Amino acid sequence: MADDTFMGVKRELIDWHPTIDYSKCDFCMECDKFCPHNVFEHRDGDQKLVVANPTNCVVFCRACAKTCGPDAITFPSKPETIAAIKKIREEGAEQ
Amino acid sequence: MTKKFAILPCNGLDKQNGPISREVALALLEEIGGKVICPVLLNNASPRYEKLLGELPLLVIDGCGTKCASKLAAGLSLKVDRKVLITDEMKTSALRPEDTLSPGPAGMEFAKAVATLIAEDMPEEAMRNSESLFSAPVDYNTFTHDKYIFRVPREGFFFNENDCWVRVSGTRARVGVSDYVQQNMTDMTYFSPPPVGKTVEQFDEVGTIESVKSSMDLISPVSGTVIAVNTSLVESPEIVNEDPYEKGWVAELELTDFDSDMELLLDCKSYLELIRKKAAEEH
Repeated sequence: MADDTFMGVKRELIDWHPTIDYSKCDFCMECDKFCPHNVFEHRDGDQKLVVANPTNCVVFCRACAKTCGPDAITFPSKPETIAAIKKIREEGAEQ
Repeated sequence: MTKKFAILPCNGLDKQNGPISREVALALLEEIGGKVICPVLLNNASPRYEKLLGELPLLVIDGCGTKCASKLAAGLSLKVDRKVLITDEMKTSALRPEDTLSPGPAGMEFAKAVATLIAEDMPEEAMRNSESLFSAPVDYNTFTHDKYIFRVPREGFFFNENDCWVRVSGTRARVGVSDYVQQNMTDMTYFSPPPVGKTVEQFDEVGTIESVKSSMDLISPVSGTVIAVNTSLVESPEIVNEDPYEKGWVAELELTDFDSDMELLLDCKSYLELIRKKAAEEH
């Protein structure tokens, strides 16, 4: 499966996914409507939207955050993620 | 040469982005002329603006990521020449508007600065001719999946797993999106180029393309400085559909450290294998 790895690194080892700031989110669901990868899911209760499938998120894609009117979505630092991917690849090569 | 626009600003009244969008529109009128479109009237009686939209290119100013103004334009199938997103401008500008609903002196100064940026940013003037560096004909491998035929160059291109390519010539490189992307997104309708002079790290955004189906940020396969953008895509984004690897290039960069970037890139053969898998999963 192509989506199980990114540059040879297991997707689950890469910390890249949106985080919702619930103090800002107004549950307009624009991010969920936009994302074709089913990263978000709807729930009952106070948090009507959750990041249910973080590893479905395309590494380095931040497009959902751009649909967010209240600016409630954040992503990890890109340089740190790149460094982490390179480190895992190097460790893998040494084994 | 400065171009006048028909300007469609955000109409938001519940936070400062709307009033600031309006101030940007008014500052632009003062600076270069043009006409402002009322979003409410456009929504209710679009024929009122038919003549204006036939005469002037359309500039859309969205206040926030909800992009109501863009959605209104798309709903009426209007051809958008230029888009500005105020939240993006706030992130890149050194100026900070006050945190008030109605713009104060700092908000007005910010709006004026954004208007000047729009007035001055004439991408056709920023274009530098380096056609000769990238004019060698490209040979392609293809593979067929259902009704789709996907093309990947045989050599000379590298890819990231975000389906963006880079073609290098010396210390220069062109970047764009793959045939796989253009076939998945279908008909391109809008291209937003990165600013010339922007410094990008590998995997930073380097422009946006929108189609009738979706929108996509281009994730740069390389680090460098944007020295030119393909202005023909602003007028005719469909070139990306017609010729994604050659005439549909997006930006040209002066490379910073291609040897290091290479570590996280795929060659043509590996990319062909990747999209073979993706196509099997998605189609």
